[in-house]
Amino acid sequence: MIDYDVFRQFGEAITHLGEMARKVEMPDAERVARAKAVMLAKIDRPMAVDLESCVKCGYCSEACHFHVQTGDPKYTPTRKLDLLRRVYGREVSLLRYVRRLFEREITAGELREWQELVYDSCTECGRCSYACPMGINIARGVNVMREALAAAGLVPDELLAVEQEQDARGSVFGVGARELQGALDKLRASGLDVPLDKPKADVLVLTTVIDILLFQDALIATVKIMNRLGLDWTFRSGGFESANFGLLSGVEDLQRKATRNIIEEAIAIGAKTVIVPECGHSYPALRWDGAAMAGKPLPFEVLAVSEFIGREVQAGRLKLKSAGARKLTYHDACKLGRHGGILDEPRAALRALDVDFRESSPSGEMNWCCGGGAGVFLLNRAAGLRQKAFELKAQQIDATGAESVVMSCGSCRLNFMNGQAQSNWPVKVESLVELVGANLADSL
Amino acid sequence: MSLLELARGPLWTGSVAVFALGVAWRLFALWRIGRKPDLSAPRAAGTAGAAVRTVFTRMLPRPGFRPSATLVTVNPYIYHLGLALIAFGYLPHIEFLRRVAGVSWPALPNAVMYLAAGATIVSLCIALLFRLTDPVLKLISTAGDYFAWVVTMLPLVTGMALIAEPAGGGGDAVRLALHLLSLELLLAWFPFGKLMHAILFVPGRAQIGAFLGRRGVRA
Repeated sequence: MIDYDVFRQFGEAITHLGEMARKVEMPDAERVARAKAVMLAKIDRPMAVDLESCVKCGYCSEACHFHVQTGDPKYTPTRKLDLLRRVYGREVSLLRYVRRLFEREITAGELREWQELVYDSCTECGRCSYACPMGINIARGVNVMREALAAAGLVPDELLAVEQEQDARGSVFGVGARELQGALDKLRASGLDVPLDKPKADVLVLTTVIDILLFQDALIATVKIMNRLGLDWTFRSGGFESANFGLLSGVEDLQRKATRNIIEEAIAIGAKTVIVPECGHSYPALRWDGAAMAGKPLPFEVLAVSEFIGREVQAGRLKLKSAGARKLTYHDACKLGRHGGILDEPRAALRALDVDFRESSPSGEMNWCCGGGAGVFLLNRAAGLRQKAFELKAQQIDATGAESVVMSCGSCRLNFMNGQAQSNWPVKVESLVELVGANLADSL
Repeated sequence: MSLLELARGPLWTGSVAVFALGVAWRLFALWRIGRKPDLSAPRAAGTAGAAVRTVFTRMLPRPGFRPSATLVTVNPYIYHLGLALIAFGYLPHIEFLRRVAGVSWPALPNAVMYLAAGATIVSLCIALLFRLTDPVLKLISTAGDYFAWVVTMLPLVTGMALIAEPAGGGGDAVRLALHLLSLELLLAWFPFGKLMHAILFVPGRAQIGAFLGRRGVRA
């Protein structure tokens, strides 16, 4: 059960999060120079093709929840790459000497304007890339823009505060090794066997601050599932946090540091598998970007917990009992589904629970984003925009007639709960791991 | 040298050369930028297949999006198909290609061509209307988008002015020269503006297909 007092305290803490950020001051010329340096360093062949290919058809606007819900053309996804396009045009493209005569240099004022466009109003959900007839990977371009703005000292205060904390102390929202130890001690007191800091293990299980502070049932369920499968597994106090505020804020040095920390722990214990908890962006941070951060292929497999559970169910190693004839639907977190391919596994687990499963429309890779991913949930000034995007999500869920929506991403879950609280939305919000953990069959 | 001789001679050769060299140069400029290898383990096999498939599947509107106005979806099909039919199905164009390149194929009936040309011109006008009035398109459009529209429209308009001319030559030399000149403008501009999308759609779609395919997602 979720402690709603903790949820409210968490929401209250977020409203003051920005006050903890140490502002990054620098002259405007330096901001522009730094942003451009990042953009130029990140423009590779695929991105150059993307930047040259846009035919300005505007289809991407139809795919974006922020544009669809507001009708404001400034949120058109391809427009979010305009500064990148200009830097490319003036500095890299074939006609750069000619284009410099017609296209202006980017300015610090534009970088400030773009802060809202690439942080507040883009969850990097990637839905626009599916609408694009040219196949432009707009989400990747937006992430490069975040990195450029981060280099220019223009990360929104809330993300900056958490990024600075994770960089300086290695903790997120004040949760470090000691807080993990405390949370696991409570689990042990309830009779659970929870391995921590085993020197060797086949499976390294990560967790995240949200599960330690708020979604403790997800943490408990994960422990139960791992124990039920009889795996040789452990948490590691030196590398448990999967959340990566380097990735979310656009600070690659921190992204690398946080990712390498996990990789080193996994290698140290000889892990063959690393399981990422219900935290959307943590999956791409390790699964897709991890090897680049390490500079070499990872010597272990990375699985999202929903992917892991689904595979164990599909293989017949994890038996579940009926969760009753409840009407359930599933929300695919963008980083897991659309950009991760984890679509079948969670559904396999839900079907094994013998519930009245109802697919939403659209679903899978075309699912609507909840509006809170990629750190948008933490941005106070984005609250109104986020809620508008959530209303679209709620309509999609309502159309299924489901009484409960299941997901496997803590950020989505927080955003759903927040949206629910603001609009008295009656649908129950559940975690896949919790649901599975609560319905393990009595015997294997 | 008359205007027609100029258009048929050095300007034609020049525009074709600019087109061919420009396209090759632009593609080479993109290729030489390079990329880092993706060191992550693929989640699914068949990346190459996904890349090829996506080049074709992106020709169709994808289910799952909010339905736009039907005209917005249908209109680009009309002018893309119309342009292809007119360029490669009209007898005088095939004759022209036979003379300059030595290749030919059966032509479509003139009536079909006139219908295609009419539909394409109307369709391009509607596309311009959308670009000038739709808030999203107005905001994201640049001078290059409008110029591309002009250089696409000019060969159609100058070509329609030749419909009444006798087949096999002997008609108004100035009208024919203007038609050729408009085509030469299109060819010469092609590598440097958005018209290049007629080639870039292949690598663009292929790379998103490969990117998503190795993650096991249907692109």
